[in-house]
Amino acid sequence: MTAALSAISRFVNRRQRFFFPAPAVAVLFLIIVLPIAFNLYLTFTKWTVGLGQPQFIGFGNFVEAFGDERVWNGVRVMIYFSGASLVLELTLGLMIALYFNRAFRGSEAVQAIYIIPFAATPVAVALIWRIMLNPEVGVINYLLRSVGLPPGLWVSNEHMVIPTLVMVDVWKWTPMITLIVLAGLKSLPPDPYEAARIDGANPLQIFWYITLPLIRPVLIAALMLRSLDNLKEFDLIYTITQGGPGIASETLYLYSYNVSFGYFKAGYGSALMVVVFLVVLVFNVIMNRLRRDSSVV
Amino acid sequence: MANVILKNLVKRFNSVTAVENLSLEVHDREFAVLVGSSGCGKTTALRMIAGLEPITSGEIFIGDTLVNDMDPKDRDIAMVFQNYALYPHMNVRDNLGFGLKIRKFPKAEIEARVKEAADILGIHDLLERKPKELSGGQRQRVALGRAIVRKPKVFLFDEPLSNLDAKLRVAMRAEISKLHRRLEATIIYVTHDQVEAMTMADRIFIMHKGALQQTGTPMEVYAKPANLFVAGFIGSPSMNFVEATLVREAGAWFIDAGGFKVRSPESFNARLEPHAGRPVIFGVRPEDMSAHKPAAGAGGANTVTTQADVVETLGSEILVHLTCGAHSLVARMEAPEQLLTEGQTLEVDLKMLKTHVFDKETSQTIV
Repeated sequence: MTAALSAISRFVNRRQRFFFPAPAVAVLFLIIVLPIAFNLYLTFTKWTVGLGQPQFIGFGNFVEAFGDERVWNGVRVMIYFSGASLVLELTLGLMIALYFNRAFRGSEAVQAIYIIPFAATPVAVALIWRIMLNPEVGVINYLLRSVGLPPGLWVSNEHMVIPTLVMVDVWKWTPMITLIVLAGLKSLPPDPYEAARIDGANPLQIFWYITLPLIRPVLIAALMLRSLDNLKEFDLIYTITQGGPGIASETLYLYSYNVSFGYFKAGYGSALMVVVFLVVLVFNVIMNRLRRDSSVV
Repeated sequence: MANVILKNLVKRFNSVTAVENLSLEVHDREFAVLVGSSGCGKTTALRMIAGLEPITSGEIFIGDTLVNDMDPKDRDIAMVFQNYALYPHMNVRDNLGFGLKIRKFPKAEIEARVKEAADILGIHDLLERKPKELSGGQRQRVALGRAIVRKPKVFLFDEPLSNLDAKLRVAMRAEISKLHRRLEATIIYVTHDQVEAMTMADRIFIMHKGALQQTGTPMEVYAKPANLFVAGFIGSPSMNFVEATLVREAGAWFIDAGGFKVRSPESFNARLEPHAGRPVIFGVRPEDMSAHKPAAGAGGANTVTTQADVVETLGSEILVHLTCGAHSLVARMEAPEQLLTEGQTLEVDLKMLKTHVFDKETSQTIV
């Protein structure tokens, strides 16, 4: 018995590098590798869930996507929504971080309040905004009317819906950018600033020539982090508009969700997901290259 | 070029006084060194001249202009920082030219001045490199270059050599001195290293606890220190200090230190008189002592019998740590032909004309 046990322990000892990671590898395989592999397989099939078996159709789904007007609409909405919200969040986040970077009385309390939107649950936030934005009973139109301004249709109007969603996204996520940029600002060395003051730079020149280049890597990192979420924004848009009115706020990601889980076209939906993935990937590869080029320290 | 005048300059950080009533004048084209141990207020004083630190009270003049409320950029100064403070994202060329670009100099002028500075400092090959690709010494050259290109009225140096290794420091010391002659500029140089102060300065300003202790040429502050602090700070190794009393015997003044008694030169008499019987500090520099083996019949009025504790050989010179009763002394002298051994009894001759006597209570110099 003892001999058998020691033989087993010797066996395990010699193969520690296989035995110890094995459970984790098995779990990762089950929850990550397998679904991705299955998803990739589905992209080459035509399969409506519940109606028979997946049929292999090669690149048929991608060909179909190319001619699908709703796909192009989804791409346009995605670029519009993400472009506007990322630019605004980065700009506002940077400006507010610069403001918070100077110590002032009560700045900690203000900062704590300021990051609440970021800490709140996205679906809860979206639900509250949906009610507030309601043209008839929403508090926003009530406030507008009470100061004599015309009420808006907000998310009920196809031209207003994206700017309105951008506004909600900016409200929710700018604090995150601020936090990241603020950490970057706090870590900058003080000496170059003093040298620049003596060299003759005014505050605006110091910002342009010193601060901005020095925190560029941080800004790009924040942009990358935010874009990962933003390009496949789901909870906010789905909760507030479900992609409407019509398909005015249906991003590619939302459309692929609708195809997969609304129409149960698993093959086509999977192919669209892969397209979204490629967009996010390409964007981040470019950003990563920019970040590496601009790192100075 | 310009002179710099500080009048009753005070800096307080809350309850801490960093600079106390500092008044001094640095002449046009002078190499002035502000020296003192860390925390003495010298860097704070320099930063106030630069305009990086607001002043609590007092006045600062650069040339004839009162600059108290002027921005650093309007004071026409350049500063070299201890940590170089280069712009990490710019290459050397842009680092050098930044101040000129900001001041809207024409491109050709910037190019010419950058080239001139690079020639002076021998950093031509580094112009396209970023600061992170440079060694400490190279970075310091670039920092110097950035100051030179501006051709300011006054150069401010804040411990520029303290991050360099010993060998490089000696080389850069000479280079900065040469640079000063070449630029004919007013330089205010802050350091804690008295060797830097002695070797580079036209005049030294010694500070302690926020207050100016003494001003003078390197030789003046070495030969005639104003008080105990200056005497101990200038010179390496430091001056030996021994507590003693002044006694008068047979018409002559003697310094009685307990362990030994030496006769003071007659020329000191008038100044010693008022301190008769009072506690004093007797000071003698290591280089004003020479130790030798006891010789029969020798042992004059200025000879002290001691015991050698440690002998440190520096090559051409030796340092001998000596004990004399309760006192410890260090002597610095030429290496003798026959090596001194530790533990042996030695007689030490003091060059009494070069010794000092300080008031123990006030720390001020008596002679």
